[in-house]
Amino acid sequence: MITVALPKGALLDDSIRLFQAVGLDFSAFLDKSNRQLQISDPTETAKALLVRAQDVPVYVEYGQAQLGVVGYDVLREKTPQVAQLVDLGFGGCRMSVAVKESSPYRSSLKLPLYGRVASKYVQCAREYFDALDLPVEIVPLYGSVELGPITGMAEAIVDLVSTGRTLKENGLVEIDVLYHSTARLIAHPLSYRLNADGIQTVIEQVRSLVLARV
Amino acid sequence: MVYQPPAGARDLLPLDVAQKRWIEDRLQQVFHQWGYHRIITSTLERLDTLMAGGAIQRSAVLQLQGLDEEDLGLRPELTASIARTVVTRIVDATYPLRLYYNANIFRRAQETSHTRQQEFYQAGVELLGSGGLLADAETLLLLMDCLQSLGLSQWSIVLGEAGLTRSLLSVFPSTIQSTVRQSIATLDRITLETLPMTESLRDRALLLLDLRGTPAEVLQKVSSLDLNPTQQAALDNLKSLIDLLQNTPDTGPQTPDSLVLDLSLIQTLDYYTGIVFEVVSDTANGRQVLGQGGRYDQLLGLYHPQGETAPGVGFALQIEQLHQAIALTNQSPQHIPTSDWLVVPASPQAATAAIAHAQKLRATSDQLRVELDLGGRTPAEIHDYAQHRQIAAIAWISPDGNVKVESVKLE
Repeated sequence: MITVALPKGALLDDSIRLFQAVGLDFSAFLDKSNRQLQISDPTETAKALLVRAQDVPVYVEYGQAQLGVVGYDVLREKTPQVAQLVDLGFGGCRMSVAVKESSPYRSSLKLPLYGRVASKYVQCAREYFDALDLPVEIVPLYGSVELGPITGMAEAIVDLVSTGRTLKENGLVEIDVLYHSTARLIAHPLSYRLNADGIQTVIEQVRSLVLARV
Repeated sequence: MVYQPPAGARDLLPLDVAQKRWIEDRLQQVFHQWGYHRIITSTLERLDTLMAGGAIQRSAVLQLQGLDEEDLGLRPELTASIARTVVTRIVDATYPLRLYYNANIFRRAQETSHTRQQEFYQAGVELLGSGGLLADAETLLLLMDCLQSLGLSQWSIVLGEAGLTRSLLSVFPSTIQSTVRQSIATLDRITLETLPMTESLRDRALLLLDLRGTPAEVLQKVSSLDLNPTQQAALDNLKSLIDLLQNTPDTGPQTPDSLVLDLSLIQTLDYYTGIVFEVVSDTANGRQVLGQGGRYDQLLGLYHPQGETAPGVGFALQIEQLHQAIALTNQSPQHIPTSDWLVVPASPQAATAAIAHAQKLRATSDQLRVELDLGGRTPAEIHDYAQHRQIAAIAWISPDGNVKVESVKLE
């Protein structure tokens, strides 16, 4: 039986709708009274795991889930060994550098040497500033990164921005974009090579659905 | 203070060793049956030896400083060491050389990997000096024979042709070729779809990415491409190889699914020039790679003082992965072997007689396990001990050499 890892949070609704459209119904996860972390679709042809977005590629890399939906931002940060098969088009956002509105720094390159940058995306932030050859100190945080510049702990943040509302409401402005991200369909490489449990059919259905939407 | 092992180190306790030996003994027997001889090479190599083939990155090697500032590393695989040994130490090698190994290897844990394990065990073969179809077939059939000898039935072999795939990649402009290769190796379709290139090249890239399936299907698809004579020859060779494998009734692929032809099976960096393959187990615990191998016809030349090369093909099986796959079949030992006899000197004066009796028992069969009671225990404690260790027979020895045999009712 195919197992699909689905991310909690922003991508869940779209992911469930996507699989519903190819005949796999995991909408039980949307039911507020649901506490189950693993469910089968009503036709008993596939299972779904409800996991944190960062954990989706882990389940897929180990092969406990053959397929998964996850944002490119997570793939970029964790570089898991998974097959990246379809750009699903939803969950669009960008990884940006942001500073306080009152900050004198208006581009990443202008940030002070050895300045502090707070981020949940430590790997990605480090790569970016290394590529700019700008030595900064990356401060790892697990949430509410916006507080870094507000409290004065950091000059800037590197974080995911979708509408920009959170930044605005916290008095921050974007000064640079590292990359754009969307949700992706990923697969366990060995299962993909062996077409285990006929996952190729599901992948093709998802692909044609996404192509048809464009 | 408590002395901890280094992160990623593993100790094997007697039961682990018994199970590991169970696997290794079976593999060794198959290797012997096919006429292979064991080779033991140095655990330590010079770093440049390990990296000469181009497939090993410095960051993956556990390094040590030798005398004279020589850069040394613990071997991350055996093929480089064997290639070095064969071309520099076996001067008048009569080819073909059939060699096998059973050894530990070391890999430095990478930041992105989930495991911190650094020491692993591998058993494998290298068949050197023959570039033909039969050598490829022998290697794959030997691999399948190994799996059968271990009682594994749920496996697939994913077979590729690195030379052919590399050649099919040569149409891509050099500016994007390595990205295309890497995207195919890591199954990154999205990069192939977005990389700037002409539509016909993109079609070729996407075709290569999904050039896998049953051998007949894939061969059909490849032959529809516009092939040059070298590519055609590689394809013909592949076709003959698959015929040979599929027509070997007992050893060959067990089910139609056990042989998958996959021309996207390449590494980002490697020294393979012909067939490449992975053997994948399909168990309740999921799918994992049990071993891999391929043909390397240029590697030996890198180690030869005059650059003379000789063809080679081989594979390595990962003992840990085999261990996990076999654990599910319950075939390997579930307990460490118990002793057959406990020999007890009835008094301190009986020690000489007891030692002599134990030796006499051991001499009757080399399968017999005989242990000596080391004193300081009451008869009741000795009974408890025999019960606990599942020793079925106790020999009580008196100073005059009298033997009283007692069989223990094991619970």
